[in-house]
Amino acid sequence: MAREFQRGHKAKISDLTSGTDLYVGVQIAGPGLTFDISCFGLDANEQLSDDRYFIFFNQPKSPEESIQLLGAQAGDTESFRVTLDRIPANIHKLSFTATLDGAGQMSQVGPGYIRIVAGGEEVVKYAFTGSEFTTERAVMLGDFYLKDVWRFAAVGQGFDGGLEALLKNFGGEVAEEEAPAAPPQGAAPSFAPPAQAAAPPAFGAPAAPQAPQPAPAFGAPPAPAPVPQQPIHAAPTIAAPMAPAPAPHAPAPAPAPYGQPPQQPQFGQVPGQSAPPAAPPYGQQAPPFAQQPPGAPPFGQQPPGAPPFGQQPPGQFGQQPPGMPQGVPQGVPAGGAGLQAALSPYKETATGQRWTSQNQQLMRVDLTMGGTPVLARQGSMVMYQGKVDFGYKGAGFAGRVVGNATGQEMQLMRCTGRGQVFLAEEGSHLHPIELQGDGICVSAESVLAFDESLQYEVRRIEGHGIPGGALFTMQFQGTGTVVIKTHGVPVVLPVTPTTFADCNAVVAWSSASQVIISSQVRLRRNAYPGHSGETVNLQFRGAPGNFIVVQPYEV
Amino acid sequence: MNQQLAGFAPTPVTARMENHGHTMLKVAMATGQDLYARTGSMVAYEGFIQYEPNPPAVRQIASQWITGEGAPLMKCAGDGLLYLADYGADVVVINLNNDALSVNGTNLLAFDAHLTWGVERVKGLAKFAGQGLWNVAVQGTGWVAITSRGTPIVVDCGRGEDETYVDPDALVAWSPNLKVKGKRSFKAGSLIGRGSGEAYQMAFSGQGIVVVQPSEDSTDRLRIRN
Repeated sequence: MAREFQRGHKAKISDLTSGTDLYVGVQIAGPGLTFDISCFGLDANEQLSDDRYFIFFNQPKSPEESIQLLGAQAGDTESFRVTLDRIPANIHKLSFTATLDGAGQMSQVGPGYIRIVAGGEEVVKYAFTGSEFTTERAVMLGDFYLKDVWRFAAVGQGFDGGLEALLKNFGGEVAEEEAPAAPPQGAAPSFAPPAQAAAPPAFGAPAAPQAPQPAPAFGAPPAPAPVPQQPIHAAPTIAAPMAPAPAPHAPAPAPAPYGQPPQQPQFGQVPGQSAPPAAPPYGQQAPPFAQQPPGAPPFGQQPPGAPPFGQQPPGQFGQQPPGMPQGVPQGVPAGGAGLQAALSPYKETATGQRWTSQNQQLMRVDLTMGGTPVLARQGSMVMYQGKVDFGYKGAGFAGRVVGNATGQEMQLMRCTGRGQVFLAEEGSHLHPIELQGDGICVSAESVLAFDESLQYEVRRIEGHGIPGGALFTMQFQGTGTVVIKTHGVPVVLPVTPTTFADCNAVVAWSSASQVIISSQVRLRRNAYPGHSGETVNLQFRGAPGNFIVVQPYEV
Repeated sequence: MNQQLAGFAPTPVTARMENHGHTMLKVAMATGQDLYARTGSMVAYEGFIQYEPNPPAVRQIASQWITGEGAPLMKCAGDGLLYLADYGADVVVINLNNDALSVNGTNLLAFDAHLTWGVERVKGLAKFAGQGLWNVAVQGTGWVAITSRGTPIVVDCGRGEDETYVDPDALVAWSPNLKVKGKRSFKAGSLIGRGSGEAYQMAFSGQGIVVVQPSEDSTDRLRIRN
């Protein structure tokens, strides 16, 4: 039941597990690299004000032992034990970092992860690979941070200096990294109506440390919903649906389905509260929060007659007397009114890099950077700005080979000039893979675009039962970026002695060297009873550190 | 089971239009505040809502839209909650604040009936795009919901000195004050766009925004045979 986080995902710990005694495991490895994995206990200003809360190999635990370094175990390079409810109040953030000891850079790191285990069960895992990094010497993997409640954020941010620089960063002047304040996960204060401010007093100040806040609406982060990766995108999306507001059609005593307080059981749970096996009836409120004294109107529940939290006192904005549905709430979205505000979550993001993911499905390439042309699948251009020429990239290329053999033309166009090109195809998920001298094999139909500076060659994997007689892959090598597309969220598997993939679903795999590829792939004919035997599975073999990418879709 | 499903219960209404998830639109309906929605986009409703397909007002405005029998918009009136969706496309809710927006006909899901709106044909392009490119210009203060196949992107045109060129199949919406023209690439051997040897884009220039979807979805679900 582990949740897979991606960079930028955030969630309340209480949504992940009801326990507070957590095991945090970090796996990070690379050929010839050694790592120092440490935990910084930071104060509200993101400073390491008390260096007894810098947990590393020389100081394996904090004074009251709320954070302990456990060492390598259970497949993890390093592990910690964190007891959340014993962490002193002045610690607001635990930042888990990995720094390189000795030579090397983060791009050499193989697949790794940071995970949280509670009660013997992995509850969340954020996996990363070295390809997300470049020359950094340190990386901030994930944070526990206190924002009303303890939350976990998958950070995955590289850091140029080593351990010293990181220390300096936390101890020194300004902490630069993204503040946990990025997504306003609480009751959005920007929500315009002043009535909202009046709501909490009416509710009675809860003694609970949790600020009363509606659970996140479905579809909004921090649930591991298909959130786009850019925090800039995520933030407003969260704020909007979470603004507490009146339920215009539901007079308070009779909760109609759409008049519910936004308590959702799986979100509304709190540490210490075991999930009641008897589910609350559909559409009803979550059980009361544990911190509430019994008898008091439980937080989030709608006591008959009392204005529930988030609902304005009668007469306030948006509240209608029962039976008089005059005027739907014209509440302004949290981001503010107007066209610009509504569309601001979808703004173009410019990072100054050559390849920029605009969202999961759109890739922007800035041709002015780097100067080399880009080869892209024909028809994948959805928009461009500037002076860009699109030329036909034809004969002699893979497309010919693939086309001739399979009847499936893969034709490319060459984008040259000065400007930005936006690429997308049929809403597929796009993943830029930056190669720095290493190689990757990509199934031909999963290639969207790549730098012309990369060397590529077409490989043919033949086997009985492969549709079209052979599977065409393109092997890329050199320095540059390949953009691959997947239908749905792919899975990246490490190559073990028993790694198999459907040849129709496999998207890409690492080719540690050019030689390995042929021996790495072995075709097996897999005919099990009741099956025609058409399916061909590929088996992958390789040294540890290799990986394959598989999409949830068979081409 | 209920517990899992309860997570999908609607959140309290805070605004006239809201997203329920990424792909569903929830509209709080009230008497006197009618709504135009794409025909067939209703997936559920609560309360008393009536639907009037092909209302006279639309017939007037959209007379040039179609040559066929009906208009692709229906008028919804009543009290309650209305849920709209379009084949799983992402829904973007926009609260116009005396703004104006041109939306590709394919990508319009719903809008307040009190907004000023009109159907126009994109000049010079009808002959390029197979189905013709119709767009609806909406103006005023109120709510509009548009759909996008995949997460859209918004690009500021006024940023660069150059024009912004968009594949018409991927175009969702744009500011009406932008200058639009069709660009046809006559360069020999130039091949962009879908399949054919004909390369064309729409060029936008001026101050404003362009919304583009990450999919070249040319199926016009809004279109009535013409």
